[in-house]
Amino acid sequence: MLIPHPLLGPRDAQEFIYLGDATLMHRPDATRPDAEAAFCDYVFLRHNPAGVHRELWFHEAGDRSWLVVTRNTVTHEIIGAELACDVKLGVTQ
Amino acid sequence: MTDLIPLTALGCTAARHEKIGAFHLTERPNLALASLSLRKGQAVPSPFGLVLPGPGQAVWSGDHGAFWTGRDQWMIEANGQTDLAALLKAAVPNASITEQTDGFAAFELTTEQGADAIDEVMRKLVNLDPHAFEAGSATRTTLDHISVFLIRRAPDKLSVIGMRTYAAALWHALAQVARRTDADIDARLSP
Amino acid sequence: MTRLSTGGLIDRETQLRFSFNGRSYTGHPGDTLASALLANGVQLVGRSFKYHRPRGVFAAGSEEPNAMVELRSGARQEPNTRATVAELFDGLVARSQNHVGSLERDLLAINDLFAPFLAAGFYYKTFMWPKAFWEKLYEPAIRRAAGLGTLSMRPDPDSYDKGFLHCDLLVIGAGAAGLAAALTAGRAGAQVVLAEEDFQLGGRLLSERDSLDGAEASLWVTKMREELQSLANVRLMPRTTVFGAYDHGIYGAVERVADHLPTPGDRVRQSLWRIRAKRAILAAGAIERHIPFAENDRPGIMLAGAMRAYANRWAVTPLKNATDRVAVFTNGDDGHRTALDLMAHGVPVLGVIDTRADAPRFGDYRLFAGATITGTKGRHGLTAIQITQGSKAAWYSVGALGVAGGWNPNVHLASHHRGRPVWDEGVLAFLPGPNGPHGLIPVGAAAGKGGVANALADGMQGAITALGQIGLAAKPIPLPQAENTPATQEAFWHVPGRRRAWVDFQNDVTVKDIALAHKENMRSVEHLKRWTTLGMATDQGKTSNISALAVMAELTGKTIPQTGTTMFRPPYTGVSLAVLGGGDTGPHFRPKRLTPTHYWASARGASFIEVGPWMRAQFFPQPGETHWRHSVDREVLAVRAGVGICDVTTLGKIDVQGADAGEFLNRVYANMMGTLKVGMVRYGLMLREDGHAYDDGTCARLAEDHFIVTTTTANAAGVYRQLEFFRQCVWPDLDVQLISTTDAWAQIAVAGPKSRMLLQRVVDDADISNAAFPFMACRALTICGGLRARLFRISFSGELAYELAVPARYGHALMERLMEQGADLGVTPYGTEALGVLRIEKGHAAGAELNGQTTAQMLGLGRMVSAKKDSVGAIMSRREGLAGDKRRLVGLKPVTAQTPVAAGSHLFTRRAVQDMANDQGWVTSACYSPHLESYIALGFLEDGENRLGEVITAANPLEGQEVAVEVVSAHFVDPDGGRLRD
Repeated sequence: MLIPHPLLGPRDAQEFIYLGDATLMHRPDATRPDAEAAFCDYVFLRHNPAGVHRELWFHEAGDRSWLVVTRNTVTHEIIGAELACDVKLGVTQ
Repeated sequence: MTDLIPLTALGCTAARHEKIGAFHLTERPNLALASLSLRKGQAVPSPFGLVLPGPGQAVWSGDHGAFWTGRDQWMIEANGQTDLAALLKAAVPNASITEQTDGFAAFELTTEQGADAIDEVMRKLVNLDPHAFEAGSATRTTLDHISVFLIRRAPDKLSVIGMRTYAAALWHALAQVARRTDADIDARLSP
Repeated sequence: MTRLSTGGLIDRETQLRFSFNGRSYTGHPGDTLASALLANGVQLVGRSFKYHRPRGVFAAGSEEPNAMVELRSGARQEPNTRATVAELFDGLVARSQNHVGSLERDLLAINDLFAPFLAAGFYYKTFMWPKAFWEKLYEPAIRRAAGLGTLSMRPDPDSYDKGFLHCDLLVIGAGAAGLAAALTAGRAGAQVVLAEEDFQLGGRLLSERDSLDGAEASLWVTKMREELQSLANVRLMPRTTVFGAYDHGIYGAVERVADHLPTPGDRVRQSLWRIRAKRAILAAGAIERHIPFAENDRPGIMLAGAMRAYANRWAVTPLKNATDRVAVFTNGDDGHRTALDLMAHGVPVLGVIDTRADAPRFGDYRLFAGATITGTKGRHGLTAIQITQGSKAAWYSVGALGVAGGWNPNVHLASHHRGRPVWDEGVLAFLPGPNGPHGLIPVGAAAGKGGVANALADGMQGAITALGQIGLAAKPIPLPQAENTPATQEAFWHVPGRRRAWVDFQNDVTVKDIALAHKENMRSVEHLKRWTTLGMATDQGKTSNISALAVMAELTGKTIPQTGTTMFRPPYTGVSLAVLGGGDTGPHFRPKRLTPTHYWASARGASFIEVGPWMRAQFFPQPGETHWRHSVDREVLAVRAGVGICDVTTLGKIDVQGADAGEFLNRVYANMMGTLKVGMVRYGLMLREDGHAYDDGTCARLAEDHFIVTTTTANAAGVYRQLEFFRQCVWPDLDVQLISTTDAWAQIAVAGPKSRMLLQRVVDDADISNAAFPFMACRALTICGGLRARLFRISFSGELAYELAVPARYGHALMERLMEQGADLGVTPYGTEALGVLRIEKGHAAGAELNGQTTAQMLGLGRMVSAKKDSVGAIMSRREGLAGDKRRLVGLKPVTAQTPVAAGSHLFTRRAVQDMANDQGWVTSACYSPHLESYIALGFLEDGENRLGEVITAANPLEGQEVAVEVVSAHFVDPDGGRLRD
């Protein structure tokens, strides 16, 4: 597969390490009363869609950036890739 | 001055050089490296008068150079400095600076056969399009399972900067590919 | 000899000698082994897989099912090579395979007499009982009888390579369509890779007598090749098979760099290419199919198109005697071309047997219209055929027979990615379907557009379309004048009859077997394949699959498209494991990391051990030490009594800087790190977000905004990745920068009561007295006359100890200096074994204790998980199941000191039944402690902290071991930690 790196252009998936569901970026607030339940969901529950999925990839053998890659898990079509820090900071969608 | 005698990454006191057909593979133990990372909100500085390059690019000016290594992060190069980080810190006091000279081994592959021979070597080494990797390009990628910075300093000059502890494996990989590419070129030239 | 006197793309001036089954023959450059054997009148080239039937060359390309040979000898012996694609070279040695005794008198030919019992499913049904016999008796016997070639069982002496190509357009196949596509794209300036399986460009143009611009097609091919070679933007890759289509325009290809040479010389044998193509043209042509009829597998019977190829390209016929007659059996116009071509070469032709009652006549030959072949004769080669026309059947003597059942577009690559080919009733074949690999455009015969004029135009148009899709403009190129030969045919799939009619030659699957599969209720084509083994051999049924589908459709009363095809998957043809294995074998199989003191340790005769990618000194044997324990015990005692030095560079080092570095580390470490004073070090524990212990190490604060995090050797990359995850994905608002500096510093542990004394001799002017530089202090300083260094007062051994870091290039010299300066102190280098013993004696956790299943509490570090702050894993570590875990790290000491305890043993109370219900924990690490003169171990034990003094059992039932051990403190040495602080 080719990952369309937002800064470096298409790079082979062999340069990346896959983590999984991009919801991992949304770590629960530890001070909320139901924090343990929220963390259980965060750590253990994942959607596993047959279709469009937002997921985290690490450019380990590249610029060491974490990317949010939107990929169709059925066709492997990649719809887009953004820097995770931009997504988190709300710079991009 | 310390009286301890340094060794190159390949374990010798002198830089190694090997001529492989039309290729020259050279170790550059005197290339000083230091990384520069911007602090939050810091403007892009111009250490040593360098215009720090964008993604995938490298620049040089006199004895100094820089290549992009990540967002808001560059590797600064200098010839023959012993404590580049200190000099860089003096030049850019607000940035995060880390001495990297000893973290890496720098090898240079040049050829008497022109840019095409370097392109051909790249095809055996890395999954990057040599045509899109012109002089002034720099990127990190993997080479024989080793993470390396690749810099094309000239059409016929490729720098490979790899983790120092992988130096021997990296040299082996480069020398072997140079040998094989040379044999391929020979085979193509002979009827 | 059946070499025709003229013609062919062979160099008749040059003789190449080769041998087959020990007999010497000659051929010419341009020959394949198959064409050279046929030129020498060798019809019988092998035995079939199951019945050991005599077999001859059937095809002229990689689709060959029969002519499988062992090539070369010695370590280079290679089984199951298709003679039809093996290029002839001088000195080639080949042998037939799959027979016992000589090829002519194969003893296993007796199988053929038992054929009625050996029908499809026979093995499945017969060798079921008794079950135990399968592995020991049945399977080995069957494998011996049905084996193909044999391996040399010696290491491969050749090298292989890999590489990466990037192009705008990959053209797969260099026939008429592929050449037109490549030239169109090449002239447009696009980056083009043209891959051709054959050693010659031209595809079927070399095998037919079509003329281009009124001249021989091969002249046009030569012109094309020369122009393509002159274009710097075109890479011509003959002898290259594109074997698979992968995601996003990535294709796998094998280039046979030196398979056509006796030995590769200084080149690699084969190269594996990963081709990244923005677009690809599939111009792989078509493969001819046959028509099953009774006894249709004799040597001398071959595909009619192959027969033309042998006559036109190689100037040979499959006849044993040049004066014998040739016949052609066909269901369409194409077979007639074979008769016409052979006649043009002066080969005697009996005539054309055409299944169509209204078969047209294209020349002056005998036409059997509405006729079929219903029998053949000839033990080791065809001698006669029975032609049945209406109710009349008659025998005719012939020496060879061409069979033309129509052409199947080579849809293989277009059907990867689960793309399903689509049946076309017009061309009576499956065409590439719409859901194949994205960006792959089939053209020419591969798209069902046969005929030279069609193929040329389609190839050109395909290239224009492909480049247009990626924004490159290409202009039409002038195409040579060409024609499309007539190609009508009827849907005639097999000649019904009582005798065996082969569908799949290599796997010996007949029409009857398919009928039997149907009777056994194998309804899906995938079941048919697995039940009969049809299409499962090395040729993957390239010549047989469609005929089999047609037969099955007929039996089930379904249409062919309803029956469907089996799934196409890479590789298109076999790919050797050697080339997939890549460039390096032996010591270079995997790149190794060498520590900065590697050459120093090596010169001292260290024994090395692989730790992940690292080579680490395991111990340093001295003269007279005959067992590794002698060396390790000596090293351990030297550290406890004096001073030892050990390279610990492999520990991960991460530079953490930024205004929020302290806050960031507070969040990623379970314990407080932001409160650490500048110039001090703190032990740190990282949890996983699920609450389990992840990694431990030290964290040093060099400045308010500058920390150095160390990790375990094994987790160096993982911890860095995790820190980047939190920095970028979770808390990107923090001002933190991370840089890995593992390789930059040679870090040497200097441990033992005399370590300070030794260090004082190398540091320049820093005060490292206990008062000025206490336990857990760190500072930058200079050593040996100005060398910048970092000194950390930390201990893994429990002794007074330091870690001294210098720029990596000085690691070697520092070791030498420490050895010189410490000679009178008895300084002793120690390796990873002693390191392990020292830390077990001290009860420090390492990889075996941090195995991903343990918690801070279990490690006795529960209080380190700060309740004052949130950190990774903190919330989850308080879950009932984790917080309530009563297992604790304890020391274990065998009741008899000299009894070893095995790591991995399970812990039970004395005399308890040893089962899961009574399991009390496990032993994580064990060693011999020379200090205590006893074996010792660490382990996790239920309620361990309250059981000191109890004697329990460490059981290793796998090896029948059971050791009585006393539960003790995990800190075997200096439990109060006084030595660290002195």
